[in-house]
This record gives sequence, C-alpha cells and structure tokens, in this order.
Amino acid sequence: MSRNLRWGIGLLLIAGLLLGAFLFLPFRSWLPGGTVADLPNREVVNGTNFNRLFPKPQPGEQIVFTQEKRGFSQARLKQGTDLRALLSISDVASAPASRNKFMHSEERLQSWPLVDQGSQASALLVADRFQVKVIGQGNGLDVQQRHELLSAFDLTALAALSPQAQAPAIAPGREKALAPGKASPLRLPFPGLGRKAPQVQPSQARVPQPAVLPAYPRLIRATAALEPAA
Amino acid sequence: MSATVLERLERLPRRNLTVLALRGISTLVPGGWQNQTSPDELISDVLGSDDPELVLQVRARADQLSRARHEGYRRALSLYDAVNRSQKAAGGLRVLANVAGALPLVKRLAVLTPASQTLQAVDLSLKVAAEMLAFTQVNGLPGDSFAAFTDSLNEYAGEARVRMAALVCFDALLPLGDNALHRLDGLLGQVSNRDLHQLPSYAGMASLLPGRGDAAHMGFLRRGVDHWLGWADGFVGDLGLNGQRAVRALETTIGPWHGGMEQLAMFLDAFTDTYSHTGVQAVARRLVERAAAEI
Repeated sequence: MSRNLRWGIGLLLIAGLLLGAFLFLPFRSWLPGGTVADLPNREVVNGTNFNRLFPKPQPGEQIVFTQEKRGFSQARLKQGTDLRALLSISDVASAPASRNKFMHSEERLQSWPLVDQGSQASALLVADRFQVKVIGQGNGLDVQQRHELLSAFDLTALAALSPQAQAPAIAPGREKALAPGKASPLRLPFPGLGRKAPQVQPSQARVPQPAVLPAYPRLIRATAALEPAA
Repeated sequence: MSATVLERLERLPRRNLTVLALRGISTLVPGGWQNQTSPDELISDVLGSDDPELVLQVRARADQLSRARHEGYRRALSLYDAVNRSQKAAGGLRVLANVAGALPLVKRLAVLTPASQTLQAVDLSLKVAAEMLAFTQVNGLPGDSFAAFTDSLNEYAGEARVRMAALVCFDALLPLGDNALHRLDGLLGQVSNRDLHQLPSYAGMASLLPGRGDAAHMGFLRRGVDHWLGWADGFVGDLGLNGQRAVRALETTIGPWHGGMEQLAMFLDAFTDTYSHTGVQAVARRLVERAAAEI
C-alpha cells in the first residue's frame, strides 16, 4: 500500500512539473492572449507594408516613422521642430469595433467613408479593412487640412493590400496546392483554441446582422409569435 | 495578471524624491517636464479632445494592447523594472560600503564591493542597452531603412529629453566626472568576466540581453553604448551639461548638498527610481498614441 502511495505521489509530482513547464516555460508564447484580440498574427497585415503609402513630405516638412507593428504603422508629421500631426494606418481586423463609427457616416473621401472624431482627429476606412487616421498635435489642424492629409495617402495602393482584393487571384490555386492533411495547419497545442480565431474574420465582421441573427432563430420566431398577440 | 501600462502610470508617485530630482534636472532642459500620471489627461492631450466617450474607448483599447504579450509594451516595462531593481541593489551596496568603510569593525566589507567606477560604467551601459531593447519592444523597427530607424531613435530620444538628461547626469556626469562619456569605453574595456558576475545589476539583466554567454553580452553592451555615445555627446554639448550644473539644478528642488558628486549619485541611485518613472511615462505615451489611432 505504502509502495503504491509512493508511486502515486511520484507520478502526481511528475505530472505537476510537466504541467507547470508546459504552462510557464517556452510554450507560453503559443498560448492565447499573446496577440491583440487573440487573432493569429498571419491574419493581420504587417505594418511594414504601410510605410511606403504615407504622404510624401512637402518642402519644410518631415515624416518620422515612430511605431511599426503587426497591423499598425505610425509616423509623425513635423514642420521644423514642431510636431503637427500623428499619421497612422491600422488594420481593423484586430479592432472590429472601430468599424462601427463608419456605418452612419455620410461623408466620403475618394469614395471611402470618412469620420471626424473630436476636434482633432479624422479617420478614413479604406476597403473596409484599413483605418487611416490623422490626429492634429501641437497647435492643431483644421478639418480641411486633415482631410487634405488623408487624401495624400496612397489610398488605391492601400486598398489593394486588402486580402479581399487579393483573394480571387490566390485562393483557388492555393487550396488545390495543399495536401489534404495540411489544409488547415495546426497552430496551437490545443486545437480547440486555434480554431476560435477565424471567427473574427473581416468578411464576417463586416456584416454583423445576418451573421448574428440566424444563431437565435428560435428567439426570433418566439418574438414574432408574441407580437400579434400583444 | 499584472497591472496594465496605464494602471502603472496611475500609480506613479505625484511628489516624492524621484519627482523632485526629475523636476530639478528638468530646469536644465528647454521645454521642461510635467509629471504626467493621469491616463485620462494623457489621452485627451494626445487626442486633442476631452470627449469622455472617446477617452474611454482609447483607454479600453490601450488596456487591450498592453495585455497582448507580443505587442511588447509590458515587456518594455519589465526591462525598466529589472534595471531599476539592479540600480537599487548596486546603489544600496555602495551606500552600505560607504557607511561600513567608516566603522572600524566592518571596514573589510568595503573592500569586497567592486570598484565603484567600473560598476557605474556597467550600470550605465545596462541602462542604455535596456533603453534600446525597450525601444524595439515598444516601437518595433519603424521605417523602411536604417536611416529611417535612426531618425526614429533620435525622435524618441528628443521626446524623452528629460529622461535622457537624467540618465546622462545621474549615471555618467555625477559619478564619473565631466569627461565620463569619453572614458566610458575604456572603463567598459576593463570589466572582466569575474567583475561582471560580481555585479548585482548584471545578474538581473543577463537573461534579457541577446546573445549567449558573458562575452556576447559584453559585446552587445559595448556596441549599444558606442551607438548611444555619438548621440549623447551632441546632447551634452547642446545643453551644456556638466556635473556642477547638475548639482546646482538638483539643489533647487531637493535642498543643499554638502557631499561630493559621487556621493550624490550614489544617494540618487539608492533612493530614487527616475529611470523606471520616466520609462513608464514614455511607454504610456506611445501606447496611447497607438490606441488613439486604432479606435
């Protein structure tokens, strides 16, 4: 009996150590929570691609890049030593909520929806995927200047970066090229966690209404049945 | 879960020795310094509007970004914390050695602590290295070319002028004298592997430095310092910084100081956290700039 007990304790210890190692040591970067909104990095367009789309500086101005991450790139517009504005391009895949503000916007700039946020920020949603934003700094910029800056970005090239724009050319060929077993490569040690991510795909998040409603057909039918009675 | 960057910002002290020391040194830097500890004020400053709903959105986004490990904002803070801990350990050790040197019975303790100047040189090089690692964690590698990256580094250093002035004054000019920047490379060259291991600062940082083994780490530190020296030299020249001016600037806020410069540096090392204090503020600003652009 005592021998069994010893074996049990030993096995328990080993299991505990393994579990601890798995959770805390080199596997940590595989666990969820590493990326923004738990979206796999490969589904977010890299900020490097945005750099060349920023406006070209006018004489006397200078563009200094300050941040470049997955799905984000930011630069400062300076005139001499004065900071004039923060210019940025971000991939809204990791921030789906930022799309909502464009839904009711009437204004358009080069046919893309335009929104003013507060007194110093203007944002543009390009190809339903990329948010271009100008935030006035220092002495500030008026609306006209901000909109001019927004249109100085290379918006057509930016729209072409969107996966939807590239999808028809690449997707069918790619699906055939992959072996059946490799069609959906395993990214995480926990398969269940890995599959959660694609739910937040831009194509689905763009039209939330039809995606959400069919999930509760019974509820809709129930409310529909109630209405005539009331 | 540890605190997010903005929570850390909120917890920074509003008035203590660290803040007073920074306020003193900021009198040497044009533009001055504001002890920014309110996330909401920082957000409305970046956004140029104090609409509560926008501020709330930016804050939520900033917290989401700082919780994502791969984004590196919190990793930068842990670098600053590691440096801060080691600075305190080294400072405490030197204070102890100084005190012990005056007591007949424990005089021998003072002999055990490594030579003050090399210790200080390595401490400074560790801070510079941490600064660069934190920069790449927070900002990525911005721009398409090396020149764009250097521009970005200079922009960052210019923005953190008070932070850099504090680093130059407290860790170079005061403890090592006015020609500290020119002596630094020589001092680092004298550091042997055994010296390195005696330093509490190195033990705390070793795992965070790139490369394997002491030689690789030392190489990284020296290269980092080399790069930084080019910039710091110009900075010191522009502002006309020297030990005397630093002491006088500090005296305006923390009161008269009768000891030597080296003792002042040691005292500041042991009892203030200027490096991590300004570090949290710098990271928070970059984080809010990104969050404001993404909401």
